[in-house]
Amino acid sequence: MATSGNKNINAKLVLLGDVGAGKSSLVLRFVKGQFVEFQESTIGAAFFSQTLAVNDATVKFEIWDTAGQERYHSLAPMYYRGAAAAIIVYDITNQASFERAKKWVQELQSQGNPNMVMALAGNKADLLDARKVAAEEAQVYAQENGLFFMETSAKTATNVNDMFYEIAKRLPRVQPSQNPSGMVLMDRPAERAASASCCG
Amino acid sequence: MQETDLHDLSDDADYAASIQQGSASVMMTRSGSGKQSSSSEPEGAEIVYSKDNVAIHPTQFASENIAGRLKLIKQGNSLFMTWIPYKGQNSNARLSERDRNLYTIRAVPFSDVRSIRRHTPAFGWPYVIVVLSSGLAYPPLYFYNGGVKEFLATIKQHAFVVRSLEDANVFLVNDFQSPLQRTLSSLELPGAAASVPNGLSLALSSNESQSYGNLDRTGGAISDGTSSFSQNHGRQRHKSNDPARDLSIHVLEKFSLVTKFARDTTSQLFRENHGNGFGGLERKSYSHESVDIPRKASKDEEKIIDEHPVPPDPIEKLLDKKHDLGEEAATNVGTFELINFKEFDKKTLVWGKPRQPPLGYEEWATFLDFEGRVVDSNALKKRIFYGGVDHTLRKEVWPFLLGYHDYDSTYAEREYLKATKKLEYETVKRQWQSISSEQARRFTKFRERKGLIDKDVVRTDRSFSFFDGDDNPNVNMLRDILLTFSFYNFDLGYCQGMSDFLSPILYVMEDESESFWCFVALMERLGPNFNRDQNGMHSQLFALSKLVELLDSPLHNYFKQNDCLNYFFCFRWVLIQFKREFDYDKTMCLWEVLWTHYLSEHMHLYVCVAILKRYRHKIIGENMDFDTLLKFINELSGHIDLDPIIRDAEALCICAGEHGAASIPPGTPPSLPVENENGSLYVQEDEVL
Repeated sequence: MATSGNKNINAKLVLLGDVGAGKSSLVLRFVKGQFVEFQESTIGAAFFSQTLAVNDATVKFEIWDTAGQERYHSLAPMYYRGAAAAIIVYDITNQASFERAKKWVQELQSQGNPNMVMALAGNKADLLDARKVAAEEAQVYAQENGLFFMETSAKTATNVNDMFYEIAKRLPRVQPSQNPSGMVLMDRPAERAASASCCG
Repeated sequence: MQETDLHDLSDDADYAASIQQGSASVMMTRSGSGKQSSSSEPEGAEIVYSKDNVAIHPTQFASENIAGRLKLIKQGNSLFMTWIPYKGQNSNARLSERDRNLYTIRAVPFSDVRSIRRHTPAFGWPYVIVVLSSGLAYPPLYFYNGGVKEFLATIKQHAFVVRSLEDANVFLVNDFQSPLQRTLSSLELPGAAASVPNGLSLALSSNESQSYGNLDRTGGAISDGTSSFSQNHGRQRHKSNDPARDLSIHVLEKFSLVTKFARDTTSQLFRENHGNGFGGLERKSYSHESVDIPRKASKDEEKIIDEHPVPPDPIEKLLDKKHDLGEEAATNVGTFELINFKEFDKKTLVWGKPRQPPLGYEEWATFLDFEGRVVDSNALKKRIFYGGVDHTLRKEVWPFLLGYHDYDSTYAEREYLKATKKLEYETVKRQWQSISSEQARRFTKFRERKGLIDKDVVRTDRSFSFFDGDDNPNVNMLRDILLTFSFYNFDLGYCQGMSDFLSPILYVMEDESESFWCFVALMERLGPNFNRDQNGMHSQLFALSKLVELLDSPLHNYFKQNDCLNYFFCFRWVLIQFKREFDYDKTMCLWEVLWTHYLSEHMHLYVCVAILKRYRHKIIGENMDFDTLLKFINELSGHIDLDPIIRDAEALCICAGEHGAASIPPGTPPSLPVENENGSLYVQEDEVL
């Protein structure tokens, strides 16, 4: 959950999406300002943090970057449970990755924190010639499902910071909880997350 | 006595002469495989002395003398001696290849050498006899071309040598460049003689089962778990399950090696008392030494607790005690004096045996009989465990370690296997190659699988020269092998992480089909790492939690309090056996050590424990929660010094002993899977990629 104290907000954010959609690349661009052409696959999960100043507050994102392969799906709830925000990433040159993104949205809608801020990122927007997923299609889908949508490019940095900035602005401002980092392990159901989501 | 006196041999005419000769020794550095190693690592092996025509005389018949080459090799701070017989000699002698192997001296560290006796008979060749701390001696080494002085002088340059007061021809040898290591490696084991500190004994005796879902299966594991340990420590096995007794006896036995310097009766006492129960043993062996140790140690404990909020490492406490023991025992030695220990920072302590230089071609040949069979696979595994394999030799050795080649196969059998397996590989490969694009359109699973592999191979080790650049044929080979594997084992298919395993194998084997079969052999053991239900990973992480509980209960309690007992922060370490944590060279070195399964099939878990223990102070001191811990561990990548970790892991494995083995449920990868009823090892749900 996003929590604040003196307008310092800690927000757990998780990245989900198909293999090779660019989850790690988006994080690396946002956190380190770097881009690697052949970013190695993520094994297990990676954790990063980055702070943004937004209007009235400072938001510290605690970012969980996950492995994309379906086979590691069973680990995902461990990372998205208790998250205040999620970015669901697909690759605009790959229709299947868009379909997979929709599945993640469904899962978060049914399993995730009900107040979660969800963003849909159509990544690799620099590869216009290879586009397979129309921006309009994604936009319509995002609107229907209450997501916030942007096309991004980790390579050119287009819209990357903007997306995190947008998310930061949309985070609910809640009172500090006893569990600022919001990590809930798999053998504990989401009772802590539930108790923290007091803003309604 | 002053330390300088001990080192000063200038009154010795022989030494003075030999030093004037200087180091006429051959200086060489190991070729190959140094490409990516960081400069801070003392990894290069350097031959500091090499002498041809040094022979042993197994029988009285001159025709059966075996000549060979004697070498001194320096690696890091350690000096090793090898003597390797020439090949193809004595064709008409009765000596077999086996005899030849029997006499070969393979990389003995000087920390294991007690003394060298020099003989210069009036008639005949000069010879030396090398005596090990264990009391064993090698057969006399005859220097046909002279060079004894130079040999001794070279040793003196790199190790601590003192001439015996009793016999001017006896040189007492020790590697005192890191004196603490010397003492520890002669003791070798952590464990308490007089008392096992509460932390460890509590942890060992605790039967309290941890809440870890339904994975708690240790109950049935004990009988099976002991077997892997017993292969190396059979003589130390006891029926009793009392851990304090096991550890203590073990340490006593090791300790006797040191006290033997002064009192050769120790081992005899030990034998006499072997059946009499532990109490008697302790008193007799330690007589006066044991008197004030417990008191001293407990004082130390108090101090540590006062100064640090971090609970002390139980193993380190054991070492502290051994410290004291070592010092006192040494003063009883009489012949020479151990140096002052206090200058050593126990936080940087390294224990376990010093790493040896990698196995090279010449030595490898001594392991094989004339038809190419590995005569003593255990000796080979042990050798590789302690030193790894020279890169140019990996291609030959890895297939054995991975289980693709049988140790008792001949050259001819392996050649034949290579040919038939190549055909078999091509057959499986054609299965996917023959899928037309038309067919692929209606074959979603194939398209998805291929797509996934395509995505991963182009981002596997691309910064490494073997895989860099556009249209690199090695990248294509990586893809072809993985895709073929996903047809060979369709149920397991492809899973992220597999390309990490295959990449070094392909780099080493340099052949598509051979790489494939080595990979197949590896997946026989590690395939369960990639099961959809994550069972293979869960069982390993569970075993890891049990090992930490056994070997560092304060750290275990810390993880427990911080909801970290699932050990997911070690997921990457375990899944791909540290591939992402070390550079390419070091990874290969670690893998071959792990694949020997020499002390344990699960050495990788002890490596995890060793790394966690290295950073326990930081983890607990900074009060890391799960997120911070995961971030911290991910960021350790590239910053872990491998050799000390392997040595720590070895010592931890020996220390954990049967209790460690019993903490690891049967069938935990890389143990071969326990077969289930329907015969399918990789049951996957249908939607699997």
